[in-house]
Amino acid sequence: MPELKKNENGNYSIDVTGLACPYPQLYAINALNQVPQGGELAVLLDNPPSVRDIPPALERKGFNVIDVSKVEGSMWMITVQA
Amino acid sequence: MNRNQLDFERFIGRYSIGRDSNPHNITGSPHFLRVKVPGGIITVDQLIQVAELSHRYGKGKAEITSRQSIQIHWIESEDAPTIFGELEQIGFTTDMCGQGFSGARHGDVRNIVSCPASGLVKDEVHDGSELLNRLTEFFVGNQDFLDMPKKLKFSISGCGVDCTRAWINDVAFVAVRKDGETGYTLLVGGSSGASQPGPRMARQTGIFIQLDDAFDVAVAAAEIHRDYSIRESKAKARLKYLIENWGVERFVRKVEEKLGTEFDSYHGLIFREGDHGGVQPQIQDGLSWVNVPLVDGRLTSVKMTRIGEFSNEYGSGELRLTPTQNIIIPNVADIDGLTEQLTPHFNIDGPRLNWTSIACSSDFCGKSQEPHSKHVLKNTLDYLAQNHNWETLDEAGIKIHVSGCKNNCCPSNTAEIGLRGRQLKENDEIRQVYDIILGGSLGTTPSFGRLVKENVDPDENKYRISSLIDSYLSKREPGQSFGDFCNDRGIDELAAFLIVKEIKGCQN
Repeated sequence: MPELKKNENGNYSIDVTGLACPYPQLYAINALNQVPQGGELAVLLDNPPSVRDIPPALERKGFNVIDVSKVEGSMWMITVQA
Repeated sequence: MNRNQLDFERFIGRYSIGRDSNPHNITGSPHFLRVKVPGGIITVDQLIQVAELSHRYGKGKAEITSRQSIQIHWIESEDAPTIFGELEQIGFTTDMCGQGFSGARHGDVRNIVSCPASGLVKDEVHDGSELLNRLTEFFVGNQDFLDMPKKLKFSISGCGVDCTRAWINDVAFVAVRKDGETGYTLLVGGSSGASQPGPRMARQTGIFIQLDDAFDVAVAAAEIHRDYSIRESKAKARLKYLIENWGVERFVRKVEEKLGTEFDSYHGLIFREGDHGGVQPQIQDGLSWVNVPLVDGRLTSVKMTRIGEFSNEYGSGELRLTPTQNIIIPNVADIDGLTEQLTPHFNIDGPRLNWTSIACSSDFCGKSQEPHSKHVLKNTLDYLAQNHNWETLDEAGIKIHVSGCKNNCCPSNTAEIGLRGRQLKENDEIRQVYDIILGGSLGTTPSFGRLVKENVDPDENKYRISSLIDSYLSKREPGQSFGDFCNDRGIDELAAFLIVKEIKGCQN
């Protein structure tokens, strides 16, 4: 199961590839609740419906979505500030 | 970072939600929940609990699908774990909705379709419920079968009638008798959709499967799909593509190899004519089932509860969801009493079309625009019922399938009359139109219909179809079915029958 990781640069990441709705969103929210306020979380995912769903859902919860980008092939990265 | 098990993680692999909101979806529904009801068999208690879920989370609405599932819309992601927990208590799981992934992966075994009158039919070949339950228990949440190249659709037909649309399932078990022994024969590689190599009727394997071997054959078929269907292309990832390339013989040899056996041959009857509509006497003395036609499969939570209460009062507290998007109340002794109760709430009188016709949920998927398929279906059926003799419609053997787009989720090419939507761009405006496909059939004479007329204005569908039926009635050979009438004629001749004329006082 996906684990929240703290990277060398002090930011956080979670890999939710292979998971369909609603799990990527649930993991992202759970991770953001653990990231210190102002910290950055990178969510790596490969499920296009979740790529569309997650940014507005996180914005509604008051998080700041910094970037949504395709990283390679069918992989996306959503960067969010807690 | 260390962490404890999250409360939603136990649902992964058994529960998921699908996305509704594509560009043209104006319902505001973000997600849908497709509740698997294996074989459509559901108790009143379960139905009422699902009704409560729809009341709380789905604006009090739900729909019966053509795979005997119950679909609830307007589901929010963050409510999903609570809903999953409640469904677990009820005893149901959901489809895994892996089709959103790019690439050929995360395919699961969809709700297994089975005869909705299993165990009730007078001349049933075999009750497939045991196989249904065993397969469902095996595949749900089974990690070995959650990442197939694409979804896999099983059907089990035990009554002798093609009530499960076996010909367009990936793997279809059909109960048959050979030399006095009951077993199954197998059809493989069916699909009505556009993915490569295009629509295909399932092919007869010509094998006779002992009842005790059926489970192992099903697992072997799923393993073959998982291990040999194409993963390089999503468009080629359905089992039908493998069957097209392998041929049936190679598929059968592979199954035999896995089971370490050699099957007897079967080249006898596959299906006979019939359906489970209306009121029909059961094998159990003095009891009948009442098939309530919903026409578009849609129900409110109030109606779900009400029909459950009727089942408790007049039946046995059990219900069956049909692949024609209706609900059967079985084990009824007082038919008149139940009919009287049903009449104010459900339109239970009408031509056979009302029980056999289906439409997809195009208003939610976002791939088409108004008027949507369920609306078009109801509108057309109402018009035909008002303007044609019901017995004549029944004799003609017509059913109508309406799909909102080319994905053909409702198999428009397998009905005598099919309507398949598309978006037509004209003068910078995009509007919904429907292509008319005629002469499709499943059951005893499986064949895909032919595209006869393109880009029909949705408001004109009913008039054109009514006109075609008039031509059929005036020109048919004695005893000729509507499907045969269409298939005996060329495209141009049929198209000429599809006219809009002012008829029968319904000029619009």
